[in-house]
Amino acid sequence: MKHIGRKIYLALIFILMYAPIATLVVLSFNSSKTRAKWGGFTLKWYSSMLADSSIMNALYTTLIIAFLSALIATVIGTAASVGIHSMQAKLKTFFITVTNIPMLNADIVTGISLMLLFIACRFTLGFATILIAHITFNIPYVIMSVLPKLRQVNHSTYEAALDLGASRTYAFRKVIFPDILPGVLSGFLLAFTMSLDDFIITHFTKGPGVDTLSTKIYSEVRKGIKPEMYALSTLLFVSVLVLMMLANSAPKKDESGRIKRSSFIAKRVVPIVLILVFVGGGFLSHIISNANSSSEQLVVYNWGEYIDPEVIEMFQEETGIQVTYEEYETNEIMYPKVQSGAIAYDVVCPSDYMIERMLQNDLLAEINWDNVPNIKNIDEAYMEQSKSFDPENKYSVPYCFGTVGILYNKTMVDEPITSWDVLWDEKYKDNILMQDSVRDAFAVALKRNGDSINSTDVTELQQATQDLIEQKPLVQAYVVDQVRDKMIGNEAAIGVIYSGEAIYTQRENSDLEYVIPEEGSNVWIDSWVIPKNAKNKENAEEFLNFLCRPEIALMNFDYITYSTPNKAGRELIEDDDIRNSRIAFPTAEDLKDCETFKFLGDEADAYYNELWNKVKAS
Amino acid sequence: MSNTLIDFVNISKSFGNQLILDEFNLSVKENEFLTLLGPSGCGKTTTLRILGGFETPDKGQVIFDGTDITALPPNKRNLNTVFQKYALFTHMSIAENIAFGLKISGKSQAYIDDKIKYALKLVNLDGYENRRPDSLSGGQQQRIAIARAIVNEPKVLLLDEPLGALDLKLRQDMSYELIRLKNELGITFIYVTHDQEEALTMSDTIVVMNQGYIQQMGSPEDIYNEPQNAFVADFIGESNIIPSLMLEDKLVEIQGAKFPCVDTGFGTNKPVDVVIRPEDIDLVKPEDGTIEGVVTHLIFKGVHYEMEVMANGFEWLVHSTDMVAVGERVGIHVDPFDIQIMNKPESEDDEAVGVNE
Repeated sequence: MKHIGRKIYLALIFILMYAPIATLVVLSFNSSKTRAKWGGFTLKWYSSMLADSSIMNALYTTLIIAFLSALIATVIGTAASVGIHSMQAKLKTFFITVTNIPMLNADIVTGISLMLLFIACRFTLGFATILIAHITFNIPYVIMSVLPKLRQVNHSTYEAALDLGASRTYAFRKVIFPDILPGVLSGFLLAFTMSLDDFIITHFTKGPGVDTLSTKIYSEVRKGIKPEMYALSTLLFVSVLVLMMLANSAPKKDESGRIKRSSFIAKRVVPIVLILVFVGGGFLSHIISNANSSSEQLVVYNWGEYIDPEVIEMFQEETGIQVTYEEYETNEIMYPKVQSGAIAYDVVCPSDYMIERMLQNDLLAEINWDNVPNIKNIDEAYMEQSKSFDPENKYSVPYCFGTVGILYNKTMVDEPITSWDVLWDEKYKDNILMQDSVRDAFAVALKRNGDSINSTDVTELQQATQDLIEQKPLVQAYVVDQVRDKMIGNEAAIGVIYSGEAIYTQRENSDLEYVIPEEGSNVWIDSWVIPKNAKNKENAEEFLNFLCRPEIALMNFDYITYSTPNKAGRELIEDDDIRNSRIAFPTAEDLKDCETFKFLGDEADAYYNELWNKVKAS
Repeated sequence: MSNTLIDFVNISKSFGNQLILDEFNLSVKENEFLTLLGPSGCGKTTTLRILGGFETPDKGQVIFDGTDITALPPNKRNLNTVFQKYALFTHMSIAENIAFGLKISGKSQAYIDDKIKYALKLVNLDGYENRRPDSLSGGQQQRIAIARAIVNEPKVLLLDEPLGALDLKLRQDMSYELIRLKNELGITFIYVTHDQEEALTMSDTIVVMNQGYIQQMGSPEDIYNEPQNAFVADFIGESNIIPSLMLEDKLVEIQGAKFPCVDTGFGTNKPVDVVIRPEDIDLVKPEDGTIEGVVTHLIFKGVHYEMEVMANGFEWLVHSTDMVAVGERVGIHVDPFDIQIMNKPESEDDEAVGVNE
């Protein structure tokens, strides 16, 4: 009985540990694209993965970095081990502790520290910085596997070699090194595996256009999981598993304690030869693929899912300019990267208030409008609107815009909504959804009182705070993305939402109506700008001119679904409902009292946050 | 046997705060089998390592064949070492082990092959060329270590407790082997051990060391029969060391009884230590002895009986082929030339330095 209990327990642990991975592996063979149903066995995801050049590039980058970092770390780590081994006890303990820190440290701390160091040293983030970072965290693993081997070495053998006339290096090479070789090889395999495995440190130290498998998977997964990623993850898991098993199993020994030559070859030599073959192939394909790449470059830094990928393809084909494309999730992630100058982006797409901040910090280059004649396609109204952050229209090309308004369910609300007041109506208690973000929430309260959404007046802000506290019992939830899903699912009657989302929700649930309240609201604009340290400014201007073409603007509108300020592009929209939608294309009347957010300065930011915390805590 | 080959001149060496060798001087003659004997920590291994080049003395010089080699690295010295733990290269075959030094010095393959054959024959391990060190017994490994050292034709072979890891029977066999080797090779052996029996069996000269100082140096017979201080007497073999009073030349009072002896020059009524080897004590009838006592312990040791006799408040250790039963009264007689008189050390430092030196 006892034994059965043990076995069940063991089985349970293994199931818990491996069920998620097993799921992934199974899905990688599922011919149906949705996770929910089994569509039969297929290898098509593997073949389409192999056909995807960006995945293959990431694979080779991964392998080359893993190989080089493991190799260099093995050399440094072995030398370090020899040094540490011959130290006195106290110093030895100290150094072992110190060298173990990168291994014990949280990856995120190591990653951020390395990134800060690289930026401080004015290194350009890219392949080299990833490599240096990987070498750094690989060294302790090598030391960890070499040092015990050195302890086993009979020190007399080294002295015996010297005694027999060998020089120090000859003695090390002929006598010590063969004894520690198994440890050195284990260290190499371990380092290779760790490098293959790493995501966090790579994420922080990589530059645009360089991706390892893990960062590639991460950026793909953010856009929704593709089955190719299941296949890729499965391959990654299997190769790490195999390497770990090889690295951890000691070669077999025969009766006299000697390592069997055949076992040594199987456990140490074969995996390293395999690695060499992979990496060699990687190098070759890299060289070949780089050979036909153009010398004209463009580094684009954009929001995730904020351009039709085909547009980039078309641009590359037409101009011969090689585009390196990199994405960010928020303005706040983008800003420090541009500010630090660690990566020279050629063109970036921040929001209004962030453009203002970048201008204040002198990070932007003036656009030469001679190179962007298509700017004429942009609606004058939005050029005008842009002046709130770019007063002379010198630095920015409007790309997408939208408003913040109220989305309501016609079947759950008595009369058409026109005012922000409805969010304070006792009737809709527990049926109201608010945005869970400080500026959006305060914009609602401030506009309701007829104040500016950029107010820094203490009395106005105190009043707004008071109002928000008062409103809190009526609010069902403070959320961000869920407004969309909850409104579609009839879970709430009224929600504060972005116009871009509103169009989508209406398609899903025709009972929903979007309105910009009469008191006015926030209108936001995301515009392209060129950082001052851009290396390919003319290419950037050519790209902006390309994006301002009506047919390209239309392609992007179809893909992103956010409103385009491109008047000529809007006219190409075939669907009348959409072309004339007041949600997508509000009239000047609608926008009468709308403002864009401004950067208020650090002090005001802190004050807003303090008040918002007061609201949340009440 | 008269040419000096190696000279240690005023060697001092300490590790941290611990002084291991203090103004150490020693000469080694050509073709000598010299043994450094002493308890662990006495400085004997350090002396050997300084000669081998593995340690640098803080002060002093090592003169080898007329040249100062103090600063020379180990690989430039014309001597080879046999280490306590064999120190064979485990990833090489026996032949590769033996050829190691020869390859470095750039000898031809034919010469090397010859040497390997010769060396293996010399250590009675012909045909072992392709074996691996791990597959050999301890004694065999030690012989290979010796073979590996001697193929380089060193002028001096240093042996650092080479038999320490072997069992008793093997140790004895190897002792004879080493004497034979030394005679065949005709080179100088410097041997380090804490085993007095090994030292007595093999050496031409024994250097007894304690706490970094030489206590006594001489032939095995000298060291055994005429220890110059209590340390040497105690360390070499078994002995009765008895605090006594030198009454006058050739007469000493031991435990209240007057014993005639052969020593002179200690003055009169001077406290001394007397050394009497257990096998030099004759047990006679009570009335015939110099003092009288009772047998308190009796152990059969094979070649002899070991007995303890209580007489005048001192327990005498006696070795004899004749047995006397426990409880019997006996007389103790010692021939005058079997009594060894030593000055009493006046302090612990004196004891270390050896006042009689």
